[in-house]
Amino acid sequence: MTAITEKQNTARNKPRTPWLNTVAGETAIQAGVFVVLLLAWEIATRSGVISPFMLPAPEDVVRRMADDLASGVALADLGRTLWRAVLGFVISAVIGIPLGILMGRFALIKWFFDPLISVGFPMPKIAFLPIFILWFDVFDTSKIIMVVISAIFPIVLAANAGTEQCDKWPVWSARSLGASKAETLWEIIFPLALPQIMTGLQIALPVALITTIVTEMMMGGPGLGGAMMTAGRFADTQGVFAGIVEITIMGLVLMKGFEALRRRLLRWQPQVRE
Amino acid sequence: MNTILRYSPLLLLLLAWEAITRFGLVSRQVLPDLATIGGAWLQLIAGGELAWHLAMSMARAFGGLALAILIGVPAGLIMAVSKPFRLALNPLVQMIYPIPKSALVPLMMIWLGLGSSSKVVLIFIGCLLPVIVSAYNGAKSVNPFLLWSAASLGASRRESLVEVLLPAAMPSVLTGIRTALGFAFILMVTSEFVIAKDGIGYLIAFLGDGGVYPSMFAAIFTVAAIGFFVDRAYSMLSGRLLRWTVT
Amino acid sequence: MRDASRSAISIENVQHSYVLRGGKEIIALQNISLDIQAEEFHALLGPSGCGKSTLLYLIGGFIPLQEGSIRTRSGEVTGPGLERGIVFQNFALFPWMTVKQNILYGLRKANFPRKEAEDRAREFIQLVHLTGFEDAFPSQLSGGMQQRAAIARTLAVDPEILLMDEPFGALDAQTRRIMQEELRAIQQRTKKTVVFVTHDVQEAVLLADRITIMSPRPGRISHLIEVGLERQSVEDMLAQPEFTAKSEHIWRLVKDMAESAMRGPA
Repeated sequence: MTAITEKQNTARNKPRTPWLNTVAGETAIQAGVFVVLLLAWEIATRSGVISPFMLPAPEDVVRRMADDLASGVALADLGRTLWRAVLGFVISAVIGIPLGILMGRFALIKWFFDPLISVGFPMPKIAFLPIFILWFDVFDTSKIIMVVISAIFPIVLAANAGTEQCDKWPVWSARSLGASKAETLWEIIFPLALPQIMTGLQIALPVALITTIVTEMMMGGPGLGGAMMTAGRFADTQGVFAGIVEITIMGLVLMKGFEALRRRLLRWQPQVRE
Repeated sequence: MNTILRYSPLLLLLLAWEAITRFGLVSRQVLPDLATIGGAWLQLIAGGELAWHLAMSMARAFGGLALAILIGVPAGLIMAVSKPFRLALNPLVQMIYPIPKSALVPLMMIWLGLGSSSKVVLIFIGCLLPVIVSAYNGAKSVNPFLLWSAASLGASRRESLVEVLLPAAMPSVLTGIRTALGFAFILMVTSEFVIAKDGIGYLIAFLGDGGVYPSMFAAIFTVAAIGFFVDRAYSMLSGRLLRWTVT
Repeated sequence: MRDASRSAISIENVQHSYVLRGGKEIIALQNISLDIQAEEFHALLGPSGCGKSTLLYLIGGFIPLQEGSIRTRSGEVTGPGLERGIVFQNFALFPWMTVKQNILYGLRKANFPRKEAEDRAREFIQLVHLTGFEDAFPSQLSGGMQQRAAIARTLAVDPEILLMDEPFGALDAQTRRIMQEELRAIQQRTKKTVVFVTHDVQEAVLLADRITIMSPRPGRISHLIEVGLERQSVEDMLAQPEFTAKSEHIWRLVKDMAESAMRGPA
């Protein structure tokens, strides 16, 4: 019943300001709160209530980002970080999706990998980084391997769950229409499990990005994480804030892009169209 | 018996490891054999270092997590029932949500220095968001008829918040806390690794820098194992708390 | 005219509308006036969208009244109250509490002393034939048992008025029949005033003393019908030609409305 949602009304009155109850109205208020926060921040730093050393004014952070972008410093770091995160993510997907599907169809593969996944998943895998540094030195290889180790777990779990939970009717239909076992794996089971796989990938994407930054912070060198650590060591608060904003924007762009990809790939799914 | 069969692939991996080191396929410098790591582990325990650094780390991780739960659960529940509260807090949540919390390590360093407080605050911020969001979503999806039932049986608004909304949102809250628990461990290791004077992350980095690899392996496997067992214990606890869900 | 002092709930000129997310206003109830007598079993019958549940929730005080008034013997309805107990269609038990804890919840709120509350809980568990299932969680019970537990929880705090929102709508046919029989027995024993929302014509004729038929868009009272059948066992009633005739008559009224609503503009 639609009536249930309406419990905010004051007694004996229809809502006095109906626009407030609309999505647009609520968004407007929240945007207002956001602007007020930013203004308070700007004023607090400009007036000297908070030292700019602790908290740089928003305007200064934006200017710093513009300068870094113009000089190309930020772009080089961003590119390096993006490359590592995306490559690590793609490798995780390329290994993780088939592994998860095969685990769902073959008992032997499940038997071997299931304990590794269930033990490895809850571990703080970042602790293994020194081992990879020991084996592969501090350059791209160890960072990307660390990203893969972190991001692959949610992908394998999602692909496995999606495969095990998919209906048997479409598989049987395909078999009776003459598809071989191997063909159903790719032609039927993979698309059926795709919604869950995409969810797993959506969890893994920020994990890949975060792990990239953490490895960069731990090892230093080129990349956003390393640049932020350097800024932090020199107490360059503007640089730190610029880094935080850049990473956040990069993450948001990646996530939104991936959501769009999901909608495109899963057009056939009824609940996607809202 | 069943457990042994289930976890036998792990044993196989250990056997492979042992074989690789035994037959000298790779340098022991790069991959110490299991006996050496075990010996180093015993030494770390006997010297008391491992216990000390672990205690520091656990205090930070669980301190930050506890703060996040104490503040995040009520905040999420109240956001679900009070519109002004939600409209005021949501922009803040939306602003912090997409920031990778690990990126705040250098900022915490500038603001709070190299000691424990910077780690606890970092872990608190990292854990707060999943807790708030799960409490809010849990409370939002509570069947309104449950609240109505409580009201018709005489519960006040505040009573029904604690007696109905909180338990009804509990499955979602517990899932959120589990995510936060994972974050707490990752942020703890990361922040101690990058910059600290003590804690298990610091110990690992210190041993690695000094080239004491068997001890480094031992410390790494200790924190990984603790992460695993804490998660298991938490799952069992929340399973008990949620006995009522499905049988 | 009925005797006004016998009136348990009097509803006067109630109007209710709500605004959809897009800003479109829907009139859920228009010009509703109705007197429900003490100890009466009153059914609100109509196709979906006729506002019968909205009316019940207004009587319960769960959604605020916009226009008109609703009065019980305890005065004007301004919110939920202990004199008006309610049983919902589904999930209304607190799932994290056992059957007994659910029933004790209301008794605790009503400030029953501990010992007395325990006794009373046992008594009502027995009344709805759930003895032996006191410590079961709702998820461990069948739908019929859950609904019996919900009825016991509501009855235990002894409300004057029992509001029921399609209470048997989620049950299978057999369980539904048994529950109808039990509800009638309980009502005859406890002499509660019952307001019962349903879209099942037979159920309304079987249980109610009077039936208010409502029509959709906007929700209005279209007929008020005195059932006037002799109360017998459910089997005997179903076998009566008068029962069949009454059901047929009412079904035709409801069907016409439902059909015209389907055809008419939304």
